[in-house]
Amino acid sequence: MDLFKIALYFLVYPGLLFLFVYSTFVEWVDRKLFARFQNRRGPLYTGAAGLLQPIADFVKLMAKEDIVPDSADKPLFNSVPVLALAAVLASGLLLPVWHFTAGMQSATSFDGDIIVMAYLLSLPTFAYFLAGWSSASMYASIGAVRVLTLLFSYEVPMFLAILSPAVLAGSWRMAVIAEYYQQHPLMLLWNIGAFAVAVVALQAKLERVPFDIPEAETELVGGTFTEYSGRKLALFRLLTDVQMVTGAGFLAALFLGGFPGGLVPGFLWLVVKTLAIVFILAAIKAVTARIRIDQMVSFSWSYLAPLALLQLVVVILVRGYLP
Amino acid sequence: MSDTFVLPVGPQHPALKEPTSFRFKVDGEYIVDADLRLGYNHRGIEKGCEARTYVQDTYLLERVCGICSNAHMTAFVQGVEKLMGIEPPLRGLYIRCLMGELERIHSHLLWLGVAGHEIGFDTFFMYTWRDREVVMDLLEMVSGNRVNYGMQTCGGVRRDLDGVQITQLLDGVAALRARTPYYLNLGATEPTMVARIAGVGKLPKEKAIELSAVGPTTRASGVQFDVRSDDPYAGFVEHIPFTIQTDNGCDVLARVIVRAKELMECYNICEWILRNLPAGEIRVKAPRKVPEGETVSRVEAQRGELIHYIRANGTDKPDRVKVRAPTLANWPATLYMLRGAYLADIPIIMAAIDPCLSCTDRMAVISDVRGGEKVWDWETLRQYGIEFHRNRGIKP
Amino acid sequence: MSLKIGAMFPEVFRHLFKRPATVLYPFEKNTVPARLRGRPVMDPDKCIGCKMCERDCPAEAIEIRQESETKTDDGKVKKRFSMTLYVDRCAHCAQCEEICPAKPDKAVKLNDFFEEAAFNRGALKIVYK
Repeated sequence: MDLFKIALYFLVYPGLLFLFVYSTFVEWVDRKLFARFQNRRGPLYTGAAGLLQPIADFVKLMAKEDIVPDSADKPLFNSVPVLALAAVLASGLLLPVWHFTAGMQSATSFDGDIIVMAYLLSLPTFAYFLAGWSSASMYASIGAVRVLTLLFSYEVPMFLAILSPAVLAGSWRMAVIAEYYQQHPLMLLWNIGAFAVAVVALQAKLERVPFDIPEAETELVGGTFTEYSGRKLALFRLLTDVQMVTGAGFLAALFLGGFPGGLVPGFLWLVVKTLAIVFILAAIKAVTARIRIDQMVSFSWSYLAPLALLQLVVVILVRGYLP
Repeated sequence: MSDTFVLPVGPQHPALKEPTSFRFKVDGEYIVDADLRLGYNHRGIEKGCEARTYVQDTYLLERVCGICSNAHMTAFVQGVEKLMGIEPPLRGLYIRCLMGELERIHSHLLWLGVAGHEIGFDTFFMYTWRDREVVMDLLEMVSGNRVNYGMQTCGGVRRDLDGVQITQLLDGVAALRARTPYYLNLGATEPTMVARIAGVGKLPKEKAIELSAVGPTTRASGVQFDVRSDDPYAGFVEHIPFTIQTDNGCDVLARVIVRAKELMECYNICEWILRNLPAGEIRVKAPRKVPEGETVSRVEAQRGELIHYIRANGTDKPDRVKVRAPTLANWPATLYMLRGAYLADIPIIMAAIDPCLSCTDRMAVISDVRGGEKVWDWETLRQYGIEFHRNRGIKP
Repeated sequence: MSLKIGAMFPEVFRHLFKRPATVLYPFEKNTVPARLRGRPVMDPDKCIGCKMCERDCPAEAIEIRQESETKTDDGKVKKRFSMTLYVDRCAHCAQCEEICPAKPDKAVKLNDFFEEAAFNRGALKIVYK
């Protein structure tokens, strides 16, 4: 029975099948919201109300010719999308949705899994860099350098921001943090600053406007993904969607009180809370322009990092004076 | 330490709406040097004009560019009218001016959207183009077409306005007048947008005059140059009130401000014309053959000063037509602005002059290493093309 | 003016509840104005065969051919002409309509048909007999 549950966990929910299907749904929601913000309709005809459009795009890309440039570093070029997708799918397994007990540690919910999750979510960024660097194209090289500069600016504020709820809850385990906030919901308000920083940093990690600098279409053609086509590009796009789901789930587990109640209520809470974060991300995407890389660096080190630090100080003081 | 490499932008690039070949020497994120090659959109229209009658040429020159189509038609038709020695009646002149201003509204709203898209602000692009549909519908109602209106002819305009159309035009212009200040406001208060356009693409006033920039590009550097006030045509200044709009910012934000101010001025001009249209004819009969002579005709197109030179030889076909588009005059200023800028600013600096390659193109003669003739005729060119492709294994 | 973070957000949020501005062409169509520059249509009954439209067309899209010649009762010769219109060359400038001297009604007029795309070349050559 236990083996069956583990197989279900890894392959169906929240494993492969759930991540694949739900990430296409989240992409549909994002595209529809973005379109409605702009007074357009968004995907409309594939499936009911365009629900199958992301899947149709994926299938179309899989069917296209896969061209590898002659001077590209072939082993690296071919393996990077798969490795990055594997890292992001693995991070999805750490979300505290079901099959854990707060008292006992298990393979998918253990002390310090917040750090492992953050680490797994930053592996794709290195994958983007390697993708651009191994492409041997000058647009891709500039894009790759920008990816690392972007990482340098948002990663530190993001890590500081996700530490705040952990410090307040007194644990490094996501399931325990979520349960703490389920029992003391008002404590969530102490983390508002960190939530704002984390959402902005997540937008930067996902490389969406205003931070889609590495893949700036009007400047660098395709940025890091210029030379990718066909199946590998399909995997990169799937990777972005899955990263949105797991990143939103990560923030929901830390800042919005997790997914209580077991299998079915936990699933419903997951959907509601991740869609709430996706709404915020889509709103940020709709109302801003793309900023320059030097402006990004100065913005994050002048505003994001100090705000995250301040939030950490506040949380430490609150923790110290808690009854 | 020079780690520069050459980054090609174009001929095909998402930042360019039309093909141009730029070669940037880039050092990290800085542009050290910029070089430009034109000629990718050349269609031989000036030569084509010599084989067609004046009436046919009005339609051919209209299609030099889709956005400045009315400006080209006006410039040509004005020049031919000068050669013929005829003048359109006042009502025709007013409607000619109205078409020019409506086209300017459509072009500036289009430009606002394109500038938004170049800096990644797609929502701004969608909203300005949604509002542009109002003026496109008005143009379709008046002329029967959304672009390439075919309204101007030697001797006046071809279609008249009736009372219903005038009311609808006034309503449309009033609706646009209510929406435009929102976009100007947004351009000045949205932090990410201001970060991208303020202080970018600086062109000091002396440089603008020295490099002979025209249009809103130079008016944003404080230069008071506008053909509508310097060399009035189509009833400007003499009958129709007009004030020149400038700004002293010298950067892309100033160009946004100048174009937004010009939009408001366009609404004023359109409303004045619609309320003060005199009764009468809209055209006079023009002869088929044009007496000998040559003339220069200037018009303030959306992007700046547009010049048509026409030489007639007494027949019904022109001897020579030369078109100098405003974008051609703005390229030296753009290259000046690009040197020393960030790589990320290339699209917005190029978009800020509102480039229209279709109007601009010239054949560029690259020096022939074989030392052959400087002028090739049609047969030589064709043979060269066939040989070129045969050498690469492509059968003609 | 001072900078406002998310300056466009109120407007953008309001549009979530408004009807989209997109027209679902080809299932919904906008009404076209009365004098749209559509396709030239020729009426052979009215044409007098002066060929001014063929001469003035800037795109060489019109060919006028004589189809028949009949003698009427009072000794007059009545010629009948046909027009071949190359739709893929037509620039919709309406110069043919403007120059047609036929009285009291012009022989060439532009209708309001604008969906000119076709699946084969043959459909783009129209003969009005």
